[in-house]
Amino acid sequence: MSLPLAISFNFLTAWEFWIGVGVFAGIYGIFVLGLQLNVGYTGIVNFGQAGFMAIGAYSAIILVVEVGVPFLLALVLSVLITMLIGVLIGLPSLRLRADYFAIATIAFSEIIRDIAQNARGLTGGNQGTISLELDNNVFFTDPWFKVSDWISDNILDPIGLSGLEFENLPLLIVVWIALGLLALGMTMLIRSPWGRVLRAIREDEDAARALGKNVLSYKLQSLALSSALGAIAGWFLAFNLQSVSQDNFEPLYTFLGYAILVLGGMATFGGVLVGSIILWTVLEGFRFLDLPLSADKQAALRFMIVGVVLILLMAFRPQGVFGKREEMVLGD
Amino acid sequence: MTEARANGKPILNVQDVHLAFGGIKAVNGATFDVREGSITALIGPNGAGKTTLFNIITGFYKPQAGEITYNGESIFGKPPHAITKRGMVRTFQITKALGAMPVIDNMLLAAPRQPGENLATLLTRRRAVRQREKEIYEHAYELLRTFNLESKANDYAATLSGGQRKLLELARALMTEPRMVLLDEPMAGINPSLGRRLLEHMERLRSEEGVTFLFVEHDMEVVMNHSDEVIVMALGRVISRGTPQEVRSDQRVVDAYLGGSGETEVPEGPPTPPSADGGVQGG
Repeated sequence: MSLPLAISFNFLTAWEFWIGVGVFAGIYGIFVLGLQLNVGYTGIVNFGQAGFMAIGAYSAIILVVEVGVPFLLALVLSVLITMLIGVLIGLPSLRLRADYFAIATIAFSEIIRDIAQNARGLTGGNQGTISLELDNNVFFTDPWFKVSDWISDNILDPIGLSGLEFENLPLLIVVWIALGLLALGMTMLIRSPWGRVLRAIREDEDAARALGKNVLSYKLQSLALSSALGAIAGWFLAFNLQSVSQDNFEPLYTFLGYAILVLGGMATFGGVLVGSIILWTVLEGFRFLDLPLSADKQAALRFMIVGVVLILLMAFRPQGVFGKREEMVLGD
Repeated sequence: MTEARANGKPILNVQDVHLAFGGIKAVNGATFDVREGSITALIGPNGAGKTTLFNIITGFYKPQAGEITYNGESIFGKPPHAITKRGMVRTFQITKALGAMPVIDNMLLAAPRQPGENLATLLTRRRAVRQREKEIYEHAYELLRTFNLESKANDYAATLSGGQRKLLELARALMTEPRMVLLDEPMAGINPSLGRRLLEHMERLRSEEGVTFLFVEHDMEVVMNHSDEVIVMALGRVISRGTPQEVRSDQRVVDAYLGGSGETEVPEGPPTPPSADGGVQGG
């Protein structure tokens, strides 16, 4: 038996580790921008974000592989499809009280996952979308790898970042550029008169109604935008994994998104980026620790550590890293 | 102020409105109208259906039967935001200051015709958005100044005192450019000097801008001295209406307060000074 003291932190100096963490942090950062818009700014508790991510990823892949739609058009269409479904889900369920809406959205996301698992002809079922790609001999990620290779050859190689360990660096760069632009865009939206109405709805729906705002319409817009962000995160997840299957969209991922939200703080898009990096460093770091534990125990331990981090945060900095304490205390 | 009664045609007309919650007939055939440019009080013992009626008029509750017209147009069953856009705005019994937003944002929010509140026009008409934002910012500061809240503009609304919140709610309601304002117990829980200021604002707005006020109030001194007309509700119906003097001497009103609902509150104004025998008070 090796001693616990033999734990090695060597992975922390490896490029691959940080690139891996960065890619996941970026993808789920985009994912959580949507949750932030819903929860932090509109006050609607969306537990279905993993479902929207699934629709984004699956519809893009299916459009390219089975329908033969050009790659870029498929990406755009996948976002529109996801937004449409977001509106259709929201229309009946946003009329419900907040807690019932949360339950409805988690049910929705599980329905999507069930469909992904069972409509094997459409989604590849548990084998993942790779089985569809092999059948059709069309590979969704091919155009992406062309872009990735171009970035490697023309930008990264000249500055010495070549080789297998930097294979995923182009994805890291593209995901974080996307995340940065989207976070900036969302920040501008929320500071606009439109964002002011959302914040008013978060504070008190009836007051917003009495002041002439169509609350349902704004909630639908918030949900549609957040589902679009989920869909974009879905593309990047597909780029990263190359084949997606239903277990990539378990409700667990929505809850990890909430952990990121709490870590970074409510009502701040910058906090989302920081929270996502912290969470994925902890999660991925534990994967590489050489603990004297069986693999499944170590996997479970990762989430226990996330729990401890969240508890410590609640105790010492309840507003999260970047959240505004005043807004939290004054909210109610 | 009784003379004001003769002026103005009805701006709000409520006809035989019914709303029952299960077996409880909260509003049971209420009928009345409110004259344009008047300050009208809606009184009645607890449980008379005043707040429910407010919620019906402003679209928060859907009535089961009846008809409501505002400005000659039916607003029956219309959603609250549509009614506010037609120029009738309300405040709440328990103030709804948007606590985690600065006072100034509370004000700006209420302004109508801001193209920046629509995602499409926010992105396509950016000049118009900025222009309108500047206009409403100035208007908001002007209102905050008249309500003595200017120094609080950048504070979170939750840090205001109860009375200041009432003032903010009225100021915010005025940002919607209303023709008619419904106030639910504006005097409750605020100190007398702030209350007086609120009343002065109401009277000034009525005389300068012709704004119509309908307010629910339990403070009989305020009702008797500051309203042109009083509507009395009991058990979901309107049982009396008229000038404060007429209503005070109406036996049905006294009965409603003393009998029926078991209320002990009597709609008595301040002791009438013997010299004011003619009945013209206040103002």
